[in-house]
Amino acid sequence: MNQTPVVQLQHATKRIGNRNIVNDLSFDIPAGEVFGFLGPNGAGKTTTIRMMAGLIKISQGDVVINGHSIAKDFNKAIRNVGAIVENPDLYKYLTGYQNLKHYARMVPGVSKTRINEMVEIVGLKEKIHDKVRTYSLGMRQRLGIAQALLHHPLLLILDEPTNGLDPAGIRELRNYLKRLAHEEGVAVFVSSHLLSEMELMCDRVGVLQNGELVSIQSIQDFVHKGGASRIFVTVEPAQMEQAKRLIAAADKTALPTEHPGQLFIQMNKQEIPKVNKLLMNAGIQVYSIQTKEQTLEDKFLEITEEKKCVD
Amino acid sequence: MRGLVANESMKIYNRKLTWILLLLLVAITIGASVMGKINSTNTENWRAETTQLVQLYEERSKITETPRTARIDNENKLNIAKYRLENDIPTPPANPWSALLTTAGLIEMVIIFTIVIAADVVAGEYTAGTMKLLLIRPHSRTKILFSKYIAASLFAVVMLALLLVCGYVTNALLYGFGDIHITDLFLNQQGQIVQQNVVVQVIKMYGLSIIPILSYVAIAIAISTVLRNSALAVGISMFIMIVGNSMIDATSKFEWLKYLPFANSDISLYIFHIPARPEMTVGFSISVLLVYISAFSLISWIVFKKRDVSI
Repeated sequence: MNQTPVVQLQHATKRIGNRNIVNDLSFDIPAGEVFGFLGPNGAGKTTTIRMMAGLIKISQGDVVINGHSIAKDFNKAIRNVGAIVENPDLYKYLTGYQNLKHYARMVPGVSKTRINEMVEIVGLKEKIHDKVRTYSLGMRQRLGIAQALLHHPLLLILDEPTNGLDPAGIRELRNYLKRLAHEEGVAVFVSSHLLSEMELMCDRVGVLQNGELVSIQSIQDFVHKGGASRIFVTVEPAQMEQAKRLIAAADKTALPTEHPGQLFIQMNKQEIPKVNKLLMNAGIQVYSIQTKEQTLEDKFLEITEEKKCVD
Repeated sequence: MRGLVANESMKIYNRKLTWILLLLLVAITIGASVMGKINSTNTENWRAETTQLVQLYEERSKITETPRTARIDNENKLNIAKYRLENDIPTPPANPWSALLTTAGLIEMVIIFTIVIAADVVAGEYTAGTMKLLLIRPHSRTKILFSKYIAASLFAVVMLALLLVCGYVTNALLYGFGDIHITDLFLNQQGQIVQQNVVVQVIKMYGLSIIPILSYVAIAIAISTVLRNSALAVGISMFIMIVGNSMIDATSKFEWLKYLPFANSDISLYIFHIPARPEMTVGFSISVLLVYISAFSLISWIVFKKRDVSI
């Protein structure tokens, strides 16, 4: 496997008028990684994808795919890219098979066998000779993935790929993309606003806000590192006030929730035994202590909120 | 390149609209040919008939407010009829070749249908959102645009061939296959009356018409590329065509108009010797049109190559 990254963004900037839609974006994606690209609507995710696919000019900086600049050496760079940009917009008046034939003809070396193989993989065998007009959004998404993978790309770019898929379809796609990356060494770039999806699918995430990369880290670090956990302690309701005072004395804030006897405390996990001991020693009956991990969604909101405050 | 043209052709011929146009073309051609037969008079006594025609043409030439083109056409017919009587040259028997010259006006229909299809080959992909997936392949935009030009031009030529074949077959059923050595009286470039082979005139008429048709392909694609709107491209191209027909008379008054495509895009003006200006020749018209074809192609090429694809 190649040690140089499959795709490198080097200070990529897109300026329209005086505004930088995407500003000084730099990151690499190595082979075999599923990279999640997060950001609220209008953050510049699709603009970034369009730059990576050579659909729009890069105002400053460059995107290098497998060693070839997309701006200067488009043909060589794009040969390694398979993508769905925005929606899986295919030719509705053609059949699914004709669509694949269309794209297959545009890259040398894609055989009929390969087309059929892809049809099989995305599970469209039954409907492949129907007009795309009759397809559901989920089926179009599958066909879109088939067209993106026909030519064995090194980099797969998917814009909101779970749009229109049912839960089973999402799981299937997730597993397929993971297999593609981890077993076949494809670099997978996925943009999404479905944060929970990204958590299950990606190895690394980058968060984009107002055209700038505000965070980039592995998914474990992203979810777990720093940040206090949310702890729910349930005690005998009659002893709740006493428990609250005890915890307050230990410099923590315990807030009652809507459930009788339940207290919400924001603190590090490591502090749980200490609090537990404190309560036990005071003779308070503790029924349960629950830890709610911060989800990607919380983390994401946290990061983007922080950023807003700084701005 | 061949693959790209095959793709573009596949997209043209898999649309219902295309087949409706082809069907219309066949139906109208058959209809016009049959109407020609119904309106034709029996030519048993060509002398009496030609004498009658001379009277008719002389009557018509007394009407002063006829448009210039119609007046000259009438004059030409009068001269030919007189020449026929003086030199004892009988009118040729009814035959499919002469009929094809009479129905050559149907080439205008080929132009209209060509505009409808050509206007959509670029704009249609923007409207449907398919342009993105089309452009992220290892082919330069130049090649992709060029393949669209070729496919649209081939479609135009197919329609022209269909018009010719369909017209010939219908007329052959009505009048018999016809003698390919058949001659008739025509006015040559210098305005002299000469006997010429009718088949050669038919080939000249339909063959040279490819150039005006291709100029409309270029106009429609240029507008389609710049405005990214098929309806506008069809509308503007048709408008140019319709205005163009009424510009032929104006061209006789203003010399500079001869450098516009209008008065140059009707080859029948040269077959029947009614050029808009005496100094205009078929060679001049073809040259002017070729310049316009290059200019419009250049415009669409520059715009298509430079444009950011963000829809």
